[in-house]
Amino acid sequence: MTKPANLLSPDTSLLTGAPVNLSRRRFLLLSAGTTAGAFVLGFGLPVGGARAEGLSGTMKPGTRVPAFLEIRPDNSVHLQSPFVEGGQGIFTAMAQIVGEELDADPAGFIVENAPAGSDYKVMGNGMRITGGSMSVRMSYSTMRRLGALARQMMLQAAAERLVAPVGELTTEPGRVIHGPSGRSIPYGQLAERAMDLPVPDPESVTLKDPGQFRWIGKPLARLDVYEKSVGKAIFAIDCRAEGMLYAAVQHAPRLGLTVGNVRNEDAVRAMKGVHSVHRLPGAVAVVAERWWSAKRAAEALQVDWREPGPESDVRYMPADFSTAAFSDLLANTPGSGQEAENVGDVAGALKNAHTVVSATYRSQYVNHAQLEPPSALARFNPDGTLELWIPNQAPEMFQADIARRTGLDPSRIIIHSPLLGGFFGRHFIYNTATPYPQAIQLAKEVGRPIKLIWSREEEFLRDTLRPMAAVRFRGGLDANGLPVALEAVTVCEGPTEGISGHKDGKIDPSAVEGLAGKAYAIPNHRIAQIYVKNPVMLGYWRSVGNSMNDFLYEAFLDELADKGGQDPYQLRLHLLRGNQRLSTLLQSVVDLSGGWKRGPFTATDGTGRARGIAMASPFGTETAAIAEVSIENGQIRVHDVWQSIDPGSIVNPAIIEAQVNSAVALGLSEVLLEEAVYKNGQPVARNYDLYPILPSDRMARVHVRIIESGAKMGGIGEPGLPAVPPAVANAVSRLTGQRVRSMPLSRHTFES
Amino acid sequence: MKLTINGITHQVEAEPDTPLLWVLRDELGMTGTKYGCGIAQCGACSVMVDDIVTRACVTPIESLENRRITTIEGIENDPVGKRVVAAWVKHQVPQCGYCQSGQVMAATALLKETPHPGDDEIAAAMVNLCRCGTYNAISAAIHDLAGDERTGQ
Amino acid sequence: MRKLLSVLLPVIVLAAAGVTWFATRVPSSPFDGVAGSQAPSPELIQRGEYIARLADCVGCHGSPDQPPFTGGLEMATPVGSIFATNITPDKETGIGNYSLADFDRAVRHDVARDGHHLYPAMPYPSYAKLSDDDVRALYAYFMHGVKPARHANKASDIPWPLSIRWPLAFWSALFMDHGSHHEQPSENAVWNRGAYLVQGPGHCGACHTPRGLAFNERALDDSNPLFLSGALLDGWYAPSLRGDPNRGLGRWSEDELHQFLKTGRNRHAVVFGSMTDAFNNSTQFMTDEDLRAIAHYLKSLPGDPRRDGPAWHYDPKSNDTLALNARLKTPGAQTFLAKCSFCHGADGRGQGQWFPPLAGAASLMARENASSINVTLNGSKRVVADGIPDAYRMPPFREQLSDRQIADVLSFARSSWGNNGEPVKPEEVKHLRESTDPANSSVIILHMR
Ligand code: FES
Ligand code: FES
Repeated sequence: MTKPANLLSPDTSLLTGAPVNLSRRRFLLLSAGTTAGAFVLGFGLPVGGARAEGLSGTMKPGTRVPAFLEIRPDNSVHLQSPFVEGGQGIFTAMAQIVGEELDADPAGFIVENAPAGSDYKVMGNGMRITGGSMSVRMSYSTMRRLGALARQMMLQAAAERLVAPVGELTTEPGRVIHGPSGRSIPYGQLAERAMDLPVPDPESVTLKDPGQFRWIGKPLARLDVYEKSVGKAIFAIDCRAEGMLYAAVQHAPRLGLTVGNVRNEDAVRAMKGVHSVHRLPGAVAVVAERWWSAKRAAEALQVDWREPGPESDVRYMPADFSTAAFSDLLANTPGSGQEAENVGDVAGALKNAHTVVSATYRSQYVNHAQLEPPSALARFNPDGTLELWIPNQAPEMFQADIARRTGLDPSRIIIHSPLLGGFFGRHFIYNTATPYPQAIQLAKEVGRPIKLIWSREEEFLRDTLRPMAAVRFRGGLDANGLPVALEAVTVCEGPTEGISGHKDGKIDPSAVEGLAGKAYAIPNHRIAQIYVKNPVMLGYWRSVGNSMNDFLYEAFLDELADKGGQDPYQLRLHLLRGNQRLSTLLQSVVDLSGGWKRGPFTATDGTGRARGIAMASPFGTETAAIAEVSIENGQIRVHDVWQSIDPGSIVNPAIIEAQVNSAVALGLSEVLLEEAVYKNGQPVARNYDLYPILPSDRMARVHVRIIESGAKMGGIGEPGLPAVPPAVANAVSRLTGQRVRSMPLSRHTFES
Repeated sequence: MKLTINGITHQVEAEPDTPLLWVLRDELGMTGTKYGCGIAQCGACSVMVDDIVTRACVTPIESLENRRITTIEGIENDPVGKRVVAAWVKHQVPQCGYCQSGQVMAATALLKETPHPGDDEIAAAMVNLCRCGTYNAISAAIHDLAGDERTGQ
Repeated sequence: MRKLLSVLLPVIVLAAAGVTWFATRVPSSPFDGVAGSQAPSPELIQRGEYIARLADCVGCHGSPDQPPFTGGLEMATPVGSIFATNITPDKETGIGNYSLADFDRAVRHDVARDGHHLYPAMPYPSYAKLSDDDVRALYAYFMHGVKPARHANKASDIPWPLSIRWPLAFWSALFMDHGSHHEQPSENAVWNRGAYLVQGPGHCGACHTPRGLAFNERALDDSNPLFLSGALLDGWYAPSLRGDPNRGLGRWSEDELHQFLKTGRNRHAVVFGSMTDAFNNSTQFMTDEDLRAIAHYLKSLPGDPRRDGPAWHYDPKSNDTLALNARLKTPGAQTFLAKCSFCHGADGRGQGQWFPPLAGAASLMARENASSINVTLNGSKRVVADGIPDAYRMPPFREQLSDRQIADVLSFARSSWGNNGEPVKPEEVKHLRESTDPANSSVIILHMR
């Protein structure tokens, strides 16, 4: 018997988008305690933006305890995380932070992503974004305070129950203890009463002394690992709603083209399982009973694409665009650029330098290639609300964008944020690069819930790209071969200005991060940007500007070292003299790797090897990496990567180590293999076949050392990446004597 | 036609050239098996057919009648699969998790073929892509299992 | 049938020694003096459209982003590129001023209206066999069934003196079999229809018949056993269409051959390489009767055991080399398992008609290994049957596998399951890698309207 797709257990119905009787659920929530199994603290469940909005008002984000926590009679703690989980371990980190102050074992937490609502804009800057490696560092004290407030409410409820002064009560994990009588009550039994209590003044609670931490700083096991190992984790692509139809699209081969005649519309409509054919901006969609039918029918559409008119407001991809020509255009665009940094007198210092070294370095476009293709499930509810299950890194921003597109009030737009099957910056608001506007239009036209999935090919056609850049470097060396001047002029469009628009006379910080802000004591330096608009859509990619700029800068720094006869490690140490934090960091990675051993040397297996070193300062964290390489059948093999990372202070060292592993993999992938090539206005690669990402047999062993310098807390998700590509490139240059000035290395030829 | 999945026989209506992946996901609602590429490049859709790891996105159901299909939903009913899952938890393998159903399948099939695989054999069998770069954790988990006497049961 | 001119140079040198009067005369046509056409009947135009399908005119004279039949397809030759011309009835840039006789001279006699000789990229040695009726219908279609579209022809970039056209007259005099097709009275009507389609409009020999030094097809009909015996052209090896069990159609039934031409696939093979274009644009549009005639005719062509070797039989023994411990010791076996086996089956038998078997595949047994290298490097274009693109496609592996890995995996496949092909060398892969591009994964449809 075929099991109908909507036969889901009630427990998963909310997550999977099966219909939920909202009014009944609300009743349960509002009358908590009157129904068995409904002892809840606050509403906790994603009953929608309307309620979240309604409940906010005057309270400071991150203080309305009931909006975040629900504690059930079985003592399980349900936490609404302001940040979405996409593999970075944020749900676990949030549980650790809240659990620490609530005094509840994080292992017993059940965490999901909170709906859109101002309560959840807990970041110090009043925003809510899962990105920029900001989640923990920007919400750390707010989320701790939230836990402490909840604990206070438990104490008050227990005080009533035990008729004892709060001062005599303390907590142990998951329960309140009355010392004098030896009595104790589990949180699960207090939640019902605690819910009735007003949230205490946030200033009235004191946070734990870090010395007393039970869970923060410990390598706790992640909460989502089991479900992800048995296929139970629910991603956007897995969500379903009763009565939904599936949709697939065929995008215009070039961005900006519009839909003309669809030659075989009738034939496609007549294909088995097809429900309807729809014209969308720059795409034609097929709605069908099954996605496979929709996808095949969408591919069968014979669309006459038209050149856009003057009214078109999306980027236009010309038919003759090629990345090879564009890269040359960047390299040859004249000018000295808009300054991001100018210290000392670069021109003078270069003039008086003993040696001047000039070189142009280039970076490539790269795709996100997250393993989960984008999808969107959209449903218009009978009450006029619009409900969406979409991969997103910022629910309120998506809500606002959808309000703008649909004219609906934001309070009528309910955003569900399922787990992300990788993101790396893929799921921000990227106008044409995201399926939800299409899904909304289709749901409206069809009058049924629509689940739209972009095939991998359509995803590669519309993905936003990490920018390409050409950087013109000039370095001046003194008579001792030490750098006295460094100039870097990057010719590129930064991702932020690519997304939000370029402002004349302004540089995009995300275009120069990793070039500007370097800690090296080079007395004269100048960092500048020349803006050149791209025809592709640009996006954030793990570690953003650092993902390319640290490669460009740190590889050039090695080139300078070589020209000056300096050892690259010693030179960096020299340039960091007096900088305790970074000197320690650099020495620590050398120590981790067993001492500085640049090579070339012959390994025990007979291969010739060399090591390279590089540093980066991404997202408030400091990193240093060493890579060891050899050449195997003309390809670079990276054997080991050692990385020291100093994020100031930490929450979970095991997650940090996993994130560094992950970032190393992406960094290796970028430097060894990846490049999004365009020819004739179209991406050559539309799948992993022509866009290889790092496979297991090219992964390196990774050794991580975490340093808690006590400096301001930095990010974790992205910082492990930027030092890796230059460390590899520097090792390769050492091994081969061949200077590497561009990525990926697969485009270079090396002799074994 | 009839498909036997995790020991249960389902009557399915899809056309014979439909990939098993989409029958599992859309028709049977078994979404643990993932779509990543659709052209046998990533391994996210890995299942076992008669204990051999198979990529469901390139397996038309036509060839599957009277075959034994195991998906991630049934993995813990298999003694080897259960141990693989336990090792995955112990070594904290998944990050985003999207590729992991396929990775667990590939590992289970490997250990069913060879209970104590060596380094090269592990490398040869574990060829699924992981964009989160969990390769070292995967390899540690399988090495752990490979050295475990009970794996062969 | 693209880029036919890889050995053009010697032709031209040879011909350049010739006599000018011969080269500049205009051949006669049975339609000389036939009055300009009144509007032909719709039936004639429709028949002409069908002939255009049989002859796959759109395959070269069509381009996905231009109006139908405005030309533009680039054909690279060792001496420069030439471009297919505009054959719409546009008076300035197309063939709008062609009389029926002019048209006939271009299609069957290689001479354009202005008297210049056409390059043999145009398969006129085959088209020469078109019947007068079919030429008349084709003319009616191109004059009245095709929309005139202004689209200037692109000049060839072959440099002087190689660009001089008159020596081509000698080429056609030497290598063409002027005069239309002759019926074989000893054979039945189906056979004769098949012979006409294969030798004439279908121009199968343009790819499948081996060529001589002057780039001439070495046989133009079944009187010569080299006819359709397999040929290497433009990076693809078009297999034998004769009864050879290994490298030809010996193991195929007439029904299977019919199915292949109609749907692009059967249990032995799926169209790939240049045949994808022939299928997408031509064979699938042929009537069942014509396809049966082709199948019947092709099955009548005997194979040659001396050329083809002992007949293939499936050998299950090679499956042992795929066991985990064994495959690490056999070059290519691991790559086969990781990259090929999920679609083509670990036993090499493929999956029904959806994924072709590698066991017994002609391209893996032919001495010329270009097709297997090419399709591995570049994948296959989309096969579009009855307007619906294929559910499964062969991905390109050029970005993932080195020359050595491709050579090893192909050598493995060519020596497994009873296949008896010679090993592939990395240099051969390197050569094709440099001279080819990956197939487009998008669906491309060449329209005739
Ligand atoms: S989805 Fe099947 S291998 Fe990628
Ligand atoms: S865990 Fe994210 S793709 Fe593997």
